[in-house]
Amino acid sequence: MITATGLTKRYGTTAAVDGLTFEVKPGIVTGFLGPNGTGKTTSMRLILGLDKATEGTVTVNGHAYRDKRAPMREIGALIDPSAVHGGRSAYHHLLWQAQAGGLPRNRVDDVLDMVGLTEVAEKKVGGFSLGMHQRLGIASALLGDPPVLLFDEPVNGLDPEGIQWVRTLMRRFAAEGRTVFISSHMMSEMEQTADHVLVIGRGRLVADVSMSEFMRRSAHSHVRIVSPRSHDLVPHLEAKGALVTNGTPNELTVTGLDAPTIGAIAFEQGIPLNELSTQRASLEAAFMELTHDSVEFRADRGPTSDIAFA
Amino acid sequence: MTATTVSTIGMTSNRATEPGFGATLQSEWTKLRSIRATWIIVSLGIGLSIGFSALIALTSGLTHESWNDTVRAQFDPVLTTNSGSLFGCILLIVLGVTAVTSEYSSRMMRTTFIVNPRRHQVFAAKLAVVTMLGLAITTITIPGMFLVSQPIFRYYGLETASIADSGTYGPLISIILTQVPNYALIPFAIAWLLRGAASAITVSIGFLWLPWMLDPILPDWVKENVLRYLPDVAANTLSGITKTGSAQYLSQTPAIMVVAIWVVGLLATADFVLNRRDV
Repeated sequence: MITATGLTKRYGTTAAVDGLTFEVKPGIVTGFLGPNGTGKTTSMRLILGLDKATEGTVTVNGHAYRDKRAPMREIGALIDPSAVHGGRSAYHHLLWQAQAGGLPRNRVDDVLDMVGLTEVAEKKVGGFSLGMHQRLGIASALLGDPPVLLFDEPVNGLDPEGIQWVRTLMRRFAAEGRTVFISSHMMSEMEQTADHVLVIGRGRLVADVSMSEFMRRSAHSHVRIVSPRSHDLVPHLEAKGALVTNGTPNELTVTGLDAPTIGAIAFEQGIPLNELSTQRASLEAAFMELTHDSVEFRADRGPTSDIAFA
Repeated sequence: MTATTVSTIGMTSNRATEPGFGATLQSEWTKLRSIRATWIIVSLGIGLSIGFSALIALTSGLTHESWNDTVRAQFDPVLTTNSGSLFGCILLIVLGVTAVTSEYSSRMMRTTFIVNPRRHQVFAAKLAVVTMLGLAITTITIPGMFLVSQPIFRYYGLETASIADSGTYGPLISIILTQVPNYALIPFAIAWLLRGAASAITVSIGFLWLPWMLDPILPDWVKENVLRYLPDVAANTLSGITKTGSAQYLSQTPAIMVVAIWVVGLLATADFVLNRRDV
């Protein structure tokens, strides 16, 4: 369980993280979403006690990270997989961490095996690919077999197979009852993995909802029509309560009516249709809209405006 | 060296005991020993200092017949052998600095403090491994430089000294003991404060050697009121390099105090800053 209360980090007058209040619960994968540069990594660093919060608190299992004595058994973190000394072997990179955490040496072999790096264990990490760095970082996080896992952009640089592997891993950890907290700037990634999402825009929390709720609320479906006589169709659609917008000359975008109804109207009026399709707003678009709004709120209503979508 | 060594920490960790200072120490030692740069610094430090001293001994032997009285009076069969320390000291600075800055430049420092958020403990463990490795280097180089020079002096008919004399081992031991605090630990503290290798090495060299380089041009009152309270100058009086009667001369206890205050003061400042700053 990770609990943040009014968590704020300011650099001079700019707030990188602004009054975040949330809980990350065990047994599910919680996604932490936001465009790049909106405070996800800063939040992660605050959780891990690397940076000191300007205001507010954040605890892991009830205690501030810096008060912990054996954090590796409690929380595993991947924040920057390229932050390794290139001249050290993968084995020794994990060994010094295991030793610092008071963990047995055989954990190093276990996690190397778990992430599939056993064969390159003695190789210097400087020669590792992006994907191998990512695997090594995940191995570090798993060393203490911790109940809380925190991953900053875990699929960055992974090939499709690697992405699938991380997804399965995250799902498995959650199923085992662990707290899994993953940040990402890629909506599509979360759609496949997360049960719950926290959306952050400009350092503020703009949504704290279940994934299904998030998708339901965000999906503005509309119907796309292409017809050589599209102008003739508009009054008939509007008469039935639809909201019609024009695209390119022959194209219409309709909200408020579903595709079968529109098809029936066109048939009654004898207007030929070249295309009739339901467009579901992508989660990506919904996400952009949501975070865009948060920026506007901030500009319009000053720093006191808060959660727009909670 | 690696997988086959059986560790005893496995026994305790099964009972989920919290890792103590020993665990941090072991971890910091693993970090230091597992990169090649450390061993390059150690071998260069030892090789260059002993080699350079041998070369100076050889030069002394080849030229001593043409020395004037002043040069002849300056020759000391113990302290002349210390000339190679120039290299040893530079490499101690590099050791002290890179033990810290290599983690900042690779951003691995974050992992270090995620793994162990007790920053004082990490600082102390790093300090301990740098001190131990530094002492291991000087314990080899200082007597090594002396021992390699004596047969050369003897061959050319110069005055020699025996390591068994208190007049010999006294200065050697004080050099061994002051070089590590001055040349490894002061740069170590500066490295935590500046967090970059280039700046920390430059500042360390400037701080430690500038007074020595400026010595000939500075007036006596500066030497007496400023220079002799600097750590390197004080260390030189301890090892007998600065003679009684010189403006920089301090007696033994004040000289020890000067070195101790600088080293402890800078280390305490570095630890304090580390503990407050974002990583």
